[in-house]
Amino acid sequence: MTKSVPASVFALLLSALAASAFAAETAPEFSLPAVNAQGDVKLSDFKGRVVYLDFWATWCPPCLKSFPWMNTLQDRYKEQGLSVVAVGVDRKRELIEEFIKQTEPNFTVVQDDKGEVAKAYKLRGMPTSYLIDRNGNIVLTHMGFRTKDQDKLEAEIKTLLEK
Amino acid sequence: MSISRYLIIATCLMLGACSLQAVEPWERDVLAQKKMQLVADPVENYLDEHTYFSKEATSGGQGVGGGGCGCN
Amino acid sequence: MQLKKNNTRNIRDSLAVATCTLLAGVGPQAQAAEFQSPWEIDSGVLFYAEKDRVRLIEPVLQVRKEIDDGEFLTARFVADTLTGASPNGAAPSDVPQTFTAPSGGKSYTTQANEIPLDPSFKDTRGAVSVDWERPLSEQLRGIFGASFSIESDYTSLGASATLARDFNQRNTTLTVATSLNLDSVSPMGGAPVGLSEMSTTVTGGGGEGEEEGEDDEDGGESKTIQEFLVGVTQVVDRNTLTQLNYSYGHSSGYLTDPYKILSVLENDGSGDLRTTGTSPYVHENRPDNRTFQTIYWKGVHQFGNEGVLTLAYRYGWDDWGINSNTYDVRYRHELGNGHYLQPHYRHYNQSAADFYRQTLIDGELPKLDYASADSRLGELTTKTIGLKYGVEFKGGGEFNIRVESMKQTGKTRAQDAVGKLQGMDLFPDNKATMVQVGVSMDTDTLFKRVAMALLKIAK
Repeated sequence: MTKSVPASVFALLLSALAASAFAAETAPEFSLPAVNAQGDVKLSDFKGRVVYLDFWATWCPPCLKSFPWMNTLQDRYKEQGLSVVAVGVDRKRELIEEFIKQTEPNFTVVQDDKGEVAKAYKLRGMPTSYLIDRNGNIVLTHMGFRTKDQDKLEAEIKTLLEK
Repeated sequence: MSISRYLIIATCLMLGACSLQAVEPWERDVLAQKKMQLVADPVENYLDEHTYFSKEATSGGQGVGGGGCGCN
Repeated sequence: MQLKKNNTRNIRDSLAVATCTLLAGVGPQAQAAEFQSPWEIDSGVLFYAEKDRVRLIEPVLQVRKEIDDGEFLTARFVADTLTGASPNGAAPSDVPQTFTAPSGGKSYTTQANEIPLDPSFKDTRGAVSVDWERPLSEQLRGIFGASFSIESDYTSLGASATLARDFNQRNTTLTVATSLNLDSVSPMGGAPVGLSEMSTTVTGGGGEGEEEGEDDEDGGESKTIQEFLVGVTQVVDRNTLTQLNYSYGHSSGYLTDPYKILSVLENDGSGDLRTTGTSPYVHENRPDNRTFQTIYWKGVHQFGNEGVLTLAYRYGWDDWGINSNTYDVRYRHELGNGHYLQPHYRHYNQSAADFYRQTLIDGELPKLDYASADSRLGELTTKTIGLKYGVEFKGGGEFNIRVESMKQTGKTRAQDAVGKLQGMDLFPDNKATMVQVGVSMDTDTLFKRVAMALLKIAK
């Protein structure tokens, strides 16, 4: 109880700093084909886990730069309940497959070729990542990827995992 | 594309400053390509500008910025 | 025998380990929040040759690096060596003409009915420019640049600043730019007095007299150029981008070409060179300021077949009476597997400067403030047609080569083609061929390729 008060204040501050601030809002459900696994992936598959949902594309250099960092995140916090899901908005599946072959990420990569899920999440810039808590609410929206933001984001994830 | 859409695009191209329908951030794949940049080949562009600068009275006028992937 | 085999294998293994370390080292780092990025290298060489006139070779090297998120540093190094002959401004005559070289050195003779060309047009120039680009806020970017160039008789120092603001989810970008250039000319033989007679004697230095204006210790002249640009870039649709710019510039100082002259004809309508005075040639003279403006439009559109059409149009005008139109069209056709062909056509025309003359008449000099026969200020048309072939390598990098053919034609001024000059071409065509080769690669890709090549050699 005493831990969650400063954590939510911190979350509010971060939300204010982010380009678009969402009040705790239910993350829209989606069902997208996986690229580095079989079948479709739904957001509800991760219920009870903290989800770091990242929208990226092979044509977006800052997006690609975030992959090694997301790999580290997934490794570090998998046990504690974090699931990183990278949504590629590339129209051509081969481009995503090519990139995955080179980088071999340890997290789920799906394709949103029509951009319908991006639209549902009201995406305003590339890349954008959404931090979704165990109850399926978006607690943080972060636009862009900058090396100096990594630590802040990781701290926020840790806090959510501890809840 | 319909005739009216072509006309609108032609007018927009002339004005260079109107928006039919904003291109969403996730739809910038084509615009992100190197060949779609306003100056696709900076070395070629520099050499041409320099060549014509020494042969003609008018020079410059090109700008930078805009287009691209729109990332970060 | 056994020992030898092991040795070879050991070397191969060590090389493999070294290569892996090298490859691992250049990849993006996973741990610390430390920014990593390769150098992007763009290089090219231009071979330019005019028929019977100027030839030049110009290598360019541009390196660019992202030094922090969205922050880039770009440096460009250029060198060019120019040789050959260039029109000196004098008109052809029905007799051979002899001129002294600007440095007061060797004189040269032009045959009858030929356009006088100064053969001592030889120089080497070096230039460097640096640009620093960084985001200033979420939607605002700034680019700050400095440049420097030097050749035997000319140095230039420049600075520029550009601000680009995005609107409408980065569909619209407003650009504002300004630049300042300070040039210094130290002509060989000193800056001659405008419209004074060309010296016929070989002198160690100094023409008829030094320019009484701004000059530094060694009798040099200076020139200042300020420019402003405002532009809008608009994303029209997923496949189309356009830009519209307006630029305003002002140059002041020594704008005359110290090496260009004009022929003064006898006042009898014959078209003979005048016999009064010490020389029938006078130095040109241009105003000490010039205001110039342009409106520039560009459109880029990609078709379903991935072909890209680029169109550009520019209208330019200044207070010297020169108006120009530039039309440029390029179409990039994809051949598959990263290969492409790009035909190109450029069409340029300009009107002559108010004070542009091809010959002068004896007696009118006291009435003239300015006069120049520099073909660059005449009524001319430049047509260029070219073809570029390129290949984008799968792992990154590009090679391209382009060949262009340029033809510049100018109008002979009927009023200046006096007497026997009638029927002579006072503005002969200038034809040039350009070949340019380009190579682009980023250092990550370069190291990977070198490493793989080394591995292949080791095997």
